[in-house]
Amino acid sequence: MIAFDHVGKRYRSLFGREVRALDDFSIELHAGEVFGVAGPNGAGKSTLISLLLGYLGPSEGTIRVGGLDPRRYAETHGISYLSELVHIPPAWRADEALERYALLAGLSSPARDARVDEVIEWMGLGEHRSKRVKQLSKGNLQRLGLAQALLVEERVIVLDEPTHGLDPVWTQRFRDVVNALRRDDRVILIASHNLDELARLADRVAIIDHGRLQRVVDVRGAVEPDGRDRTPYRIALARGAELVRETFPNAREMGLGEYQLDGLTLDEVNVGLAALLARGALVTMVYPVHSMLEQQFREAVGTGRGTS
Amino acid sequence: MSRARVGAYAVWQLRDYLKDRGVPTVIVATLSAYLSLSGIFEPRVREPIMSILRARFDTAEAVQAAWMTHVNHAFLSTTLNALVFVGALFAMNGIVANDRKLGFYRFLFAKPITPSRYYGQAFLVHWAGFMLVTTILGVLYGAILSPIVTQRLLVAIALMFVAYAGIAFLLSAAARWDWLSLVAAAVTATLLWDRFGASSHPIAKLLYLLPPLHRANEVYLSVSGPPVIGSASPGGIPWALLAWLTGYGVLCYLAGLIVLRYRRLAII
Repeated sequence: MIAFDHVGKRYRSLFGREVRALDDFSIELHAGEVFGVAGPNGAGKSTLISLLLGYLGPSEGTIRVGGLDPRRYAETHGISYLSELVHIPPAWRADEALERYALLAGLSSPARDARVDEVIEWMGLGEHRSKRVKQLSKGNLQRLGLAQALLVEERVIVLDEPTHGLDPVWTQRFRDVVNALRRDDRVILIASHNLDELARLADRVAIIDHGRLQRVVDVRGAVEPDGRDRTPYRIALARGAELVRETFPNAREMGLGEYQLDGLTLDEVNVGLAALLARGALVTMVYPVHSMLEQQFREAVGTGRGTS
Repeated sequence: MSRARVGAYAVWQLRDYLKDRGVPTVIVATLSAYLSLSGIFEPRVREPIMSILRARFDTAEAVQAAWMTHVNHAFLSTTLNALVFVGALFAMNGIVANDRKLGFYRFLFAKPITPSRYYGQAFLVHWAGFMLVTTILGVLYGAILSPIVTQRLLVAIALMFVAYAGIAFLLSAAARWDWLSLVAAAVTATLLWDRFGASSHPIAKLLYLLPPLHRANEVYLSVSGPPVIGSASPGGIPWALLAWLTGYGVLCYLAGLIVLRYRRLAII
């Protein structure tokens, strides 16, 4: 559905210095999958998305979307797109913005009016529909951006930092939205700094750094790593804390009633938990310190760098 | 085949023009009209002319009619150039460049539409909007003072608008600082034509690459009505000159569409 073939993108600064934003990037995205893109600040994610929408042209290599040049594809079929920063003229009213985008997306009246009402309802913007864009809070603006992307659910959906500015309730709802959008003939690309989000939503995640594809993590078919690379788990107990050291001799107390279990397999953690419960302990929480994706990310780009 | 309804979007584009650009055009046009008319009606200017007219015509009605003809001529010949230039500047300022600079292109062109179609239509809509505003102002002027709107006047204004707006459209499609570039281009073309237009040096032939904006007044004078006092009647519209100016604008408009077809939208 989408193919990047040895794609490179170079920028030249005012003083002639060359910056490689993307370098020898190759990957194929298949219909039916949700594909995540993660990377530190300046890794090349925004460039990748601009190339995918045809807003930039590659310096080397080729990009094909549905067999077409990306710009030609967007002009012919449209792409459901939410950008990292929501750029909508500030004087437009929220419902007016959706009305305009719906018209440009090819919806004709009265289906257009019905669809606008539907996405307003879906995104919980009912009480804000008459407000000017400049009057919307960051979260509501983000929801408006998502609403315009979903006016017509295209076969290619590109969401750049989709939960940026959303509160926890809407972050969860966003996950439901993405799951509802899954379809066999559709590809959904999500770029996010939230690895937990990508781990929950994506089938595969590309980790990019310095403009290069570092690795592609198969989130669904992940295999637990061996030895010291195993994800540490933390457990918290309301009762029976004194039993933890007997069950897990290497457990480290982390304060606030939490213990960290290092170097254990998931099986070993479960066996230990069963023993704890059998002896009357009351476990309130068990969670991995790093998700498998986060661990892969740390290995791919190092630990001292934030994501973007 | 794109399914987008860009044609239907013209209504929104017209609304945007009237709200964001038409109102400033009306304000500037009204201010220039006020300044121009207050100069014409200034007693020190008016009285000598009225004396000549009283000597030339027998009845008060004839004097008044000749005076209004003079007012119309003086008003149009002094304000048309500025009105059309400023109107085109307002209509085209940032027509493409603003969307690119402010990132509005991102949602627009993820929809199944081509930038050349969208902005090409915006140009035509803004042209229509400007003509609507101009016609309304002309009719209002006529209701207050004396009728001035004629078919010849509207045709000249419409075509002169294209001369300026075409250049502005190309600059907006190709550069960020489009309004500044338009002013610079207009001033440069006028200065160079004035300075070297009469030269027989072969390099002076390069001037033909620039629009003959220094002669725009010839067009405006030809549609300002007959002068009652002073110079002889300018005669009919200089069609060859008007075609040259308009053709230049049309070529720039088409070049702008080509730029939009092939230029990437993102600003790095």
